[in-house]
Amino acid sequence: MSSELVRLTDLTKVYQGGITGALNGVSVSVDKGEFAAIMGPSGSGKSTMLNLIAGLDRPTSGTVSVGGTDLGKLGEAGLARFRRDHIGFVFQFFYLLQNLTALENVLIPAQLKGNSAGARARQLMERLGIQDVANRYPARLSGGQQQRVALARALINDPTLLLADEPTGALDTHTGDQVMELLGQLHRDGQTILLVTHDAKLATRHAARVLSVLDGKIVDDARLESPERAASEVIRVRGEEVSR
Amino acid sequence: MTAVLIKAIRDLRRRRLQAAVVFVTTMLAVGTGTIALTLIAQTNDPYQVAFEAQKGAHLVVDFDGRVDPGTLATTPAAIGASAFAGPYRATDMQFQSRSHKYTVTTIARDNPGGDVGQLRITGGRWPSSGNEIALTRSFADLNQVSIGDRLRVLSVPGAPILTVVGLVVDIDELRADVGGQQHAWVIESAFGSLTTKGTSYYKMDYRFASDPTSAELQAHLDTLRASLPPDSITSSITYIFARTVFHISTQILTGVLVAFSIFALVATAAIVANLVTGIVISAYREIGIMKAVGFTPTQVIGVFVLQILVPTAAACVIGIPAAMVLSQPLLASNSQALGLAYQPAYSPVLGLLALAGALLIVTVAALIPAFRAGRLKPALVIANASAPRGQSGRWIRRAASLVRMPRPVVLGLGDSAARPVRAILTVLAIVLGVATVIVALGETRTFSEIYSYEGHVGKVDVVVAKSPALADADATRLIDSQPETGRVVAEAFANITAKGIADPVNTLTFRGDSAKLGYLLTSGRWFTGPGEVVANGGFVHDAHLNLGDTFTGTVNGSALTLRIVGVVYDFTAGPGGHIMMLDWSTLAAAVPDLSPSSYMVALKPGSNLDAYVRRLSAAQPDLLDVQAASAGNTAFLSVIAAVLLGIAGLIALIAVAGIFNTLLLNTRERLRDTATLKTLGMSPRQVLGMVASSAAFMALLGGLVAVPAGIWVYRILFDQLSNLGGNITPPVFYDVYANWELVAIPLAGVFVAIAAALIPGWWAARTNVVEVLHAE
Repeated sequence: MSSELVRLTDLTKVYQGGITGALNGVSVSVDKGEFAAIMGPSGSGKSTMLNLIAGLDRPTSGTVSVGGTDLGKLGEAGLARFRRDHIGFVFQFFYLLQNLTALENVLIPAQLKGNSAGARARQLMERLGIQDVANRYPARLSGGQQQRVALARALINDPTLLLADEPTGALDTHTGDQVMELLGQLHRDGQTILLVTHDAKLATRHAARVLSVLDGKIVDDARLESPERAASEVIRVRGEEVSR
Repeated sequence: MTAVLIKAIRDLRRRRLQAAVVFVTTMLAVGTGTIALTLIAQTNDPYQVAFEAQKGAHLVVDFDGRVDPGTLATTPAAIGASAFAGPYRATDMQFQSRSHKYTVTTIARDNPGGDVGQLRITGGRWPSSGNEIALTRSFADLNQVSIGDRLRVLSVPGAPILTVVGLVVDIDELRADVGGQQHAWVIESAFGSLTTKGTSYYKMDYRFASDPTSAELQAHLDTLRASLPPDSITSSITYIFARTVFHISTQILTGVLVAFSIFALVATAAIVANLVTGIVISAYREIGIMKAVGFTPTQVIGVFVLQILVPTAAACVIGIPAAMVLSQPLLASNSQALGLAYQPAYSPVLGLLALAGALLIVTVAALIPAFRAGRLKPALVIANASAPRGQSGRWIRRAASLVRMPRPVVLGLGDSAARPVRAILTVLAIVLGVATVIVALGETRTFSEIYSYEGHVGKVDVVVAKSPALADADATRLIDSQPETGRVVAEAFANITAKGIADPVNTLTFRGDSAKLGYLLTSGRWFTGPGEVVANGGFVHDAHLNLGDTFTGTVNGSALTLRIVGVVYDFTAGPGGHIMMLDWSTLAAAVPDLSPSSYMVALKPGSNLDAYVRRLSAAQPDLLDVQAASAGNTAFLSVIAAVLLGIAGLIALIAVAGIFNTLLLNTRERLRDTATLKTLGMSPRQVLGMVASSAAFMALLGGLVAVPAGIWVYRILFDQLSNLGGNITPPVFYDVYANWELVAIPLAGVFVAIAAALIPGWWAARTNVVEVLHAE
């Protein structure tokens, strides 16, 4: 039995100066426990959608609701608390704080909440295979290690929703696969994940649902598998069949 | 060159805030320096102008009243004076105006003109009848005596009344506000009724063809002394001493102003160096592009230096004239004291000097980081948007983590030291700002302390001045008859001649427990019996004496064997002056008619001071002047305090600009980190806290260094001031700061730094995460 976690209603985002990436009346919902991929070319609006869901940006019109909370009703401090409590964010370029060790990076979101969470951080790092580099600074980590640290950081507060924006974009194929495997494992453990990517293969191989975005609109919403429906080998994305 | 100029101007437009920081900082620094230079240079020295206009005397000598006036008339030729005036008869005259009593040196003179020491009448007219008097203008101003006021003369029987008809500027006397008994003038025929037997003396004014040196004046005095009977010369004043005293406020300020100017310029250089480093760091890619399109390393350096020089030049254009205008009131007070029409003194040379100095210092400060830009390799920097982020500050973060500080605070503390050179330069600016405030506070407080010390404030409660017309026994009986009278120390003046000292030495003779007057000794002990003497450092030095040495003093023709037992801290003798203090018993035999001029009274605990003063005044309204002990008129100290605190405020503002600048650079360089932290859930308040804690830490560090540094500089400057009076500073004078102040001042610095952090912190808190991360 699934329940709705994210609901976007008639969501529009227009940037001043006509910067690309705007959304145009998007309505969609994501259930708890889903692994959904938002897919589209550069400038299609997929990252904008992710930013709005994370409360990093505000829509021009429409509403964003996460876990029953209408983000439009939260102020800046409220949005910060919301992200701290409910959102884990993984970026393409990791965005680790260079002057903190791997462990310190992982701990930051918990410490911002006033928690110490040392044991959980070490547990997460062990699970992600980075326990040996806990005391190293990001500059001394490989790309894959940095992204795992970023993943551990995103998970430290046990977020309701994990947002991943092109998490393999800065990694080689092999390392990227490893990161995606980790995300898949997290999903299997019950984590709700929203993944932004422009790579159709990546989206269809790991996600159970693919939302195709083009020019600010969702042009396809392909559900690949569910308890009621077994995974198929081929799915339709933007009107075309793509093999998984 | 055109390309460099165009690029520099375009960059300047883009970096308006940085340009504003340079502009404000440089304007404050160059303003401070210009004020200091203007005051020190005294571009249009009003004293010198007045001295020439009034044919001032190079040497004024007081002769004992028993010397034959005919003999005195031959003295100018004996010492080669080109002109002279006198001998004028003079006497110390006490008078009452309203409820106050004053003592002035009244001189018999029929007209204000003459070849030497002409008097400038600034109000009213010269006395023409026996019941008229002219007063020194500065004395009248200070004590609010006006033309038309009636003065009751208390120092002679019958208490005649004199009407003030003129106010006069005498270039040959000392300033009223700094000290020294002031002059008054009556016509010759009136003088006899204003003096009693044996109390008058003669004054001679000598002027030479060219300005003599101190040594030449000393030689003239020696010649005079040798040509006259012993003890004929009772005192003398040289034009050099009078000029020094006239400029005393500027002299006191000079050392402090020089120190403050250096502080301001160093702080500005630190801020500019920080700023240019910041620009270079943030413009890595741009530098690479500049080089790629053909800018030479020198041209790259030129672009960065020009960006700083343009706002610096603008700051000078406004700051230098503004500072010259601001320094005029202090200069004007000197002109006004001399009754001269004030002519604003603006020196183009001085302005150009300040401009050149500011441009040079700023250029050097900007060149060092700009060289870094010039040396960067294009291929490397094009690949990097900015310089590698600073990695220092880990130990601070670790230490803060250990004491379980909130994470935003821990991050802020670490950020403060992320770029160590920037942190050091910022802390340096803070140190200079806070230290200046400490020095200024200490100096102004010290001046007040010295005046309180000289006035025996806290040691005695009441000072009773006695007219020569009242017998010592009668005055003592009146004072002793008051039930609240506790301890009484009588003070009399005597002149003792000592070998090696040209003028007779002004000697304070005390009767009673004088040790309780609170005089501070820089070495030795207070006298305890006859023959023992304490003297100021100037006397001990000039007489070539050491503690414990015995020497012969002469008074009234009698030789006294005296022994130096202590060196006293004293300012009343003035720069290069001499003073001795001894017990009444030492002079009792040699000066049998010695009579106190004043009595210093300590009241019994619980006494009503005002009631005591009223009652004792009423007991002898004419011949006793009863006043509560006070620091005296300290009006000129207020001017000095205003100047010092004002300049300290300017330097503190420079320090604030420095910390603002650093936070601005830090927050801009760490924009991506801040955006990431916001994504991770850092609230705007936490971002603000992070930036503020960074500022607070640097300010705290700067404050902790500034307190001992400020006290150290204060002591050096105060020692210089003590040296003016031939003194060594007693340790107790160093102790002008309360412990809580030494905590409160750096803490205030922390609060100011936090306030300065609000704007950069607010900007950081408002970071648009999407825009920042999208730009990456």
